Amino acid sequence: MSSLKEIYNYRQMIFSLVKKELRGRYKGSVLGFLWTFINPLLQLIVYTLVFSVIMRSGIEKYYLFLFVALVPWIFFSSALTSGANCILASQDLVKKIYFPREVLPIANTTSTFVNMLLSFVVVFVVLIVTGFGVNPVACLFLPIIMIIEYFICLGICMLFSALTVYLRDLQSILSIIAMAWQFLTPVMYGQDMVEEALSAHPFLMTVWNYNPTTPIINAYREILYYKQIPDMSNMGTAVILGVVVCLLGWFVFGKLQKGFAEEL
Amino acid sequence: MKPENAIEVRDLKKSFKVYFDKGNSLKEKAIHKKRNRYEIREVLKGISFEVKKGEAIGLIGHNGCGKSTTLKLLTKIIYPDSGSIDMCGRVSSLIELGAGFHPDMSGRENIYTNAAIFGLSKKEIDERLDDIIRFSELEEYIDNPVRTYSSGMYMRLAFSVAINVNAEILLIDEILAVGDVNFQEKCFDKLKDIKRAGTTIVIVSHSLDQVERICDRSYWIDEGEIRAEGDPISVHEAYLTAMNQSMQERLEKEDAEVMEQHKKLGQARLMPVFCSDIAERKGTFDVEFSDIKALNSIGEKKRTFHSGEAVRLRFAYKNPNHVPQANIKFSLYRDDGILVYENNYEFATGKVLDLKDEGEVNVEFPTFGYAKGTYLLNAVMYPPGGGEVFDEINNVFKITVFSEERAMGVYLLENHWEEA
Repeated sequence: MSSLKEIYNYRQMIFSLVKKELRGRYKGSVLGFLWTFINPLLQLIVYTLVFSVIMRSGIEKYYLFLFVALVPWIFFSSALTSGANCILASQDLVKKIYFPREVLPIANTTSTFVNMLLSFVVVFVVLIVTGFGVNPVACLFLPIIMIIEYFICLGICMLFSALTVYLRDLQSILSIIAMAWQFLTPVMYGQDMVEEALSAHPFLMTVWNYNPTTPIINAYREILYYKQIPDMSNMGTAVILGVVVCLLGWFVFGKLQKGFAEEL
Repeated sequence: MKPENAIEVRDLKKSFKVYFDKGNSLKEKAIHKKRNRYEIREVLKGISFEVKKGEAIGLIGHNGCGKSTTLKLLTKIIYPDSGSIDMCGRVSSLIELGAGFHPDMSGRENIYTNAAIFGLSKKEIDERLDDIIRFSELEEYIDNPVRTYSSGMYMRLAFSVAINVNAEILLIDEILAVGDVNFQEKCFDKLKDIKRAGTTIVIVSHSLDQVERICDRSYWIDEGEIRAEGDPISVHEAYLTAMNQSMQERLEKEDAEVMEQHKKLGQARLMPVFCSDIAERKGTFDVEFSDIKALNSIGEKKRTFHSGEAVRLRFAYKNPNHVPQANIKFSLYRDDGILVYENNYEFATGKVLDLKDEGEVNVEFPTFGYAKGTYLLNAVMYPPGGGEVFDEINNVFKITVFSEERAMGVYLLENHWEEA
């Protein structure tokens, strides 16, 4: 509890780190902040080209099916890959100044979270401009699922940023892990396809469902693509997995952070 | 914790693993078992002290004695292996100035970033902003990007932020070398104000007089243990005496090693063994120096002297070609090139030196009163009326002078002070 209070006292530091990160990210590039929007759009074009032109998936309005899941996925994967680096990247601060170390993963996750929120502006523009439309009632659940995703990402970021300090190899392995994780989460395909494929293997299905990103991505898709109020048991799983991941990250980080200054 | 104390440190111990060749990657950890060999170096061997509220203490000691480690433990950058630290109140550290400064952002924006790292909220920073800018004397430049600042301006801004945090405990590591002399004075005055306002201060410094000016007590840390504690002046005197002692021993040992080396090399070396390795020699060598020595009052050969001691320089020559007359001149330079003394036989005695086939000339200094520092000796032998020099050796050897005296300058003039 006292550590939470201390982090609260350092809220201005979190705020200024987030600001610095957001302002600094595209500094010196011609399109600047627009990259926040262009990047997911370009990815969307590539995936759409592959899955609705070359390898036809047969899913109606595949680009929307993909887009509503891809944006939250990009949040998660950057929390994993760039987040793992956040302690190393600020090692000058860590070695020389005291502040609650949790500030760094929190600031990192928050700035990628803000990026996702900005990308969601594009998502909504696309949904409305194409005439696909949105269900306002279902959209009320969107902030909830975003907050749950935020805590999962924070947990993951804390876990891997702390481990990376002690084991620098993780930096290189993580991009592969992120890719594998993307294929093992229903981003490019639907949950129903997995249920069908794994119907004969209930055990594998259970394992599958313990992937913390699965219920999150499914919920986004239910809200925005199927325009439904999300399935409550799915939301429940998301909350439980979110709490578990976040506590795990918090705990590991707390244990490892005492050695940061010496290890760096 | 006693209510009157701001800091209580009990039996603090800390060791570091010193890797011979550290591998951080998985491959290196797995394959090169050898690379992960390390030795454990005990930096702190049980340090305990208490600091009362509003008190200022100094931690002194030579490099690597553990004083900076102690300060890092106090700031919680690193954690002790055993022992406890209790502190009461908000802690601010002036260890790393300008942490998180972004070169492209303006001075004003950087004040916010930097102060945020010290744990201040936006409201608190807003309240202090004017004070910080005024103290830094950067009013005109505060909206320019920090990269356009000179290093002095940069440090002034950083110091102003750190000093205006208004902590209850202030930890300072060797940072009072900020900006020009005026600004340093201002920092000092500010520190005194802060102390008067009741802030507890811990200073780590090599500058003993800074500690004496601010601190009520001083701790001398040696090899991870507290060696002496108490009023700064007396602790520092004991410290300086011990430092001089150990440096003298070290220099003499080095000297002996060099001599040994020279003897081993023997003929391979052009320089005679009495010369240091930075010596330069030229001349016709019709007459040449066969030995040059510095001796103390009891005739021991020395290269290190205590200021005020009696010193004798001995110049021995050999004259195989039976040159009738010569003059011997010597000069002492401080290691920064300032000539501190020069004299020759003719000036000193008023006559010309009649040479024998072998002989010695001694120069006696009853009180060799130079201030602490390193001095270099040059020696020349030349014909009395001028002409080509017989033998000229520059940087014959170094003479190191020690002193506990804190007065500054080249020569320690004897002086007495009294109130009229």
